[in-house]
Amino acid sequence: MAAADRPHVALFVTCLVDAMRPPIGFAAIALLEAAGCTVSVPAAQTCCGQPARNSGDRAGAADLAAHTIALLEPFDAVVVPSGSCAATIIQYPELFDAGSAWHARATALAGRTHELLSYLADHRKFIPAGIALQATATYHDSCSGLRELGVAAQPRALLGAVAGLALLPLDGAETCCGFGGTFCVKYPAISNAIVDEKARAIEATGAGLLLGGDLGCLMNMAGKLHRRGSPVRAYPAAEILAGMAGPAIGEPA
Amino acid sequence: MSADFTARAGAALADPTLKIAIDRTTITARTKRASAIAAWPEFPLARALGRDIKDHVIAHLDHYLLEFEANAIASGARVHWAETAQQACDITVALCRAADARSVTRSKSMLGEEIGLPHALAQAGIERVETDLAEHIIQLAGERPSHIIWPALHKTREQVGELFAREHHGALPLDTAEQMMASARRELREKFLAADVGISGANFLIADTGAVCTVTNEGNAELTTTPPRLHIVTAGIEKLVPSTAHAMSLLRLLVRSATGAELTQYTSFHRGPRRPGDTDGPTEFHIILVDNGRTRMRAEGLAEMLRCLRCGACLNHCVVFRQIGGHAYGGTYPGPMGAVITPILDGLAASHDLPNACTLNGQCQEVCPVAIPLPTLLRGWRDRSWREGLEPASLRGSLALWRFVARRPALYRAATALALPMMRLFARRGWISAMPLAGGWTRHRDLPAPPARGFMAQYAARQKAARR
Amino acid sequence: MTDARAAILARLAGHRTDQATIAAQAAALLDRVGPTRPDRVRGAPDAVFLQRLASPAIGATGERIATLAELPEAVSRYLAAHALPPLVAVQPHPELAGLAWAGIATHADITPDEAVAVGLAHGGIAETASLVFHSGAHSPTLFAFLPMHHIVALHAHSVRPWLEDHIAADPPRNVNLVTGPSGTTDIEGTLVRGAHGPGHLHVVMIGSNNDADPVAATRPA
Repeated sequence: MAAADRPHVALFVTCLVDAMRPPIGFAAIALLEAAGCTVSVPAAQTCCGQPARNSGDRAGAADLAAHTIALLEPFDAVVVPSGSCAATIIQYPELFDAGSAWHARATALAGRTHELLSYLADHRKFIPAGIALQATATYHDSCSGLRELGVAAQPRALLGAVAGLALLPLDGAETCCGFGGTFCVKYPAISNAIVDEKARAIEATGAGLLLGGDLGCLMNMAGKLHRRGSPVRAYPAAEILAGMAGPAIGEPA
Repeated sequence: MSADFTARAGAALADPTLKIAIDRTTITARTKRASAIAAWPEFPLARALGRDIKDHVIAHLDHYLLEFEANAIASGARVHWAETAQQACDITVALCRAADARSVTRSKSMLGEEIGLPHALAQAGIERVETDLAEHIIQLAGERPSHIIWPALHKTREQVGELFAREHHGALPLDTAEQMMASARRELREKFLAADVGISGANFLIADTGAVCTVTNEGNAELTTTPPRLHIVTAGIEKLVPSTAHAMSLLRLLVRSATGAELTQYTSFHRGPRRPGDTDGPTEFHIILVDNGRTRMRAEGLAEMLRCLRCGACLNHCVVFRQIGGHAYGGTYPGPMGAVITPILDGLAASHDLPNACTLNGQCQEVCPVAIPLPTLLRGWRDRSWREGLEPASLRGSLALWRFVARRPALYRAATALALPMMRLFARRGWISAMPLAGGWTRHRDLPAPPARGFMAQYAARQKAARR
Repeated sequence: MTDARAAILARLAGHRTDQATIAAQAAALLDRVGPTRPDRVRGAPDAVFLQRLASPAIGATGERIATLAELPEAVSRYLAAHALPPLVAVQPHPELAGLAWAGIATHADITPDEAVAVGLAHGGIAETASLVFHSGAHSPTLFAFLPMHHIVALHAHSVRPWLEDHIAADPPRNVNLVTGPSGTTDIEGTLVRGAHGPGHLHVVMIGSNNDADPVAATRPA
């Protein structure tokens, strides 16, 4: 057990970040280290099991949950750069029978699991220092983080410390973008109608950048903005906060 | 992803007028609710109280039904019980026939829609006059309600004007909503007073007095239930409350959540038939207590859904409802609350799309005035649909394969290492606009090209380099 | 039908809680009502009532007179202001029948297209500016629903702060809370005044109630 002021944190990077946006993972490591954490990335991590859980496959979700619990429980805290994946881990106890050993282990892990930006702001009292970006941006609140974990003020507070970055309000910032995990491919026409409305609201802000805390939602909105020919560029908030704003989502490296 | 739901949703998405109509009402509704809640900082406490009142009643429903029945009978009402929609309709039609009724007026009731009462009355050859403005619109158009508070939400004012110009007998101007209402007022005036039977629903059944509470803004409920010889109430058994005072707490929540007003224009408590000295009021007062799946909901893990006050806030805030409207859901109740209730009423096999066609964003629960955990209940249906094998084989197969791989980290890394470069073959200037197996995504939006190597591989390589 | 009753009750029967426990739970819920009431409702109930009545959300009008004897004059003024003929239906209430209706033709029956009806409310609720009507020989239900203009006299001393304050122990056949003129939001969600019920509601407050506890004082500390 590490000292209380230097927790040993496991980064659960999420399957989507692993496959689609590695810079988020490196930004998360940099931010956590800057916030005084020792960071490990357990090598056997894959997916939190959310696609199975949201499809009703509880057994499949519990199977992956057990794998993930065993992997992550040795650490002081688990940090996830995604509100919806963090919420899935926090809700692991629902997958097991109350009173079972796995339920107890899931509950213990849930209590130590956090979404990245809220962990930095609330638990590490972290404020980015020396980060500057001359840009206008608007922020979309991803629903799982917002409603299941109460992530709303923290990303704005952190982004407020970035010199030169002006945050413009997004009409309907708390309205779902239509991603919904498997929803967007199971009901593509409905998802498209929702994200089209979201893209129009983003364009109407006049901001140059779209920021967010969940890669799935950002890919959905960025992909729609690009299809619409919009010049708005989408970034994961963690990359901006870590001063690692390289190519935006979809821009060639 | 049954063809029915997808086809209905597709048709709705292809109708630009429908979207205009949905937006006009739901945007107004969300704005007005938000200001009503903002002006009521006590809302969180009131919401917790409302939830607890309903939970208390649902836990002791048999007790309250019996108390209500005894008090209603003491007030001179006749109380009937119906297990099914069919029984409820049969009782209603039998009462109408016994009264030799030719004309029936009806004040909007979602329970009436749920049990198919309009159809049953038509089958029995009884003329039905809908008195709520929206229900009147729907009746003239030969349609079904698309929202539980605004049944004609799918119609623009222009469409209502055209409909009234065709169907109404007066020659009043029909350019504004005020004029359309005035035309309907004139059209329906005499029918109110000529009806033999008035049928209403109930917002609350008051156990300790035996009274039935209904709320309306138009005043049509009293005009429906006072002049006729018979007043028939059809009410779901979950509408019980212990006392009038408990109903008041729920009214504060219901009205603000529905229309953003603090109270409906007319909040009425009916208790039995006309009394000696009364100069108006029905001579017979019948109450039909309807189960139609409610005891099943209570027994099968959906007791929290029986809190529902039918305010419609979850519909107005649902991103899916706001794109496809109410008819696409295919049942009596649309939106999040409908997606929970419809599988009970119509069977999960016919409706398993509804709990799945949801992003689980949680806004419905957030605005629910009695804190129904709608996403959790929808998950419950998803679990059951999966267990019962109702989800498509393609989905089951791909999830099983994914799980097999995700459970084996080495295999997972190898699969990622193979898949990412293959995906990159479809990319042009950073984006993939079409790719096999990704049509659900790329039909409507572009997919950012993945990196050549995933994070885990890149991280492992960095760690290895650092150790050297 | 008895079968349905038995079947429903059988499905609901579980572990039986005794009646006293259920009653205690129900009463405990009502103990929580006070802090849920909208705190911004403050002041003497009759003053709060008139103020809220005129808010755009309610859309009614109101005035105050000293005594009920002045009601016919107030009605005459209203008729003149709205260019209405001096012909009104008067609710068959003894307090109204005894008034001097000079210059106004009154009748006690109400017709389907009555232009103006004058009534006397059983009471008022300050929180929502609601009029309370109790049906009975002196108060036919339809008086509040058929006229286009409904003028209602309301004794200031009968206005109470909250929705819970006018609950009768043994209510009559029909209790109506009337909050503003009728309206509908059925076309595009926008409120339109004047639906099937009255298009205009005018409240004439009788006297004042300065001695009453201010509304806010009724809230628990």
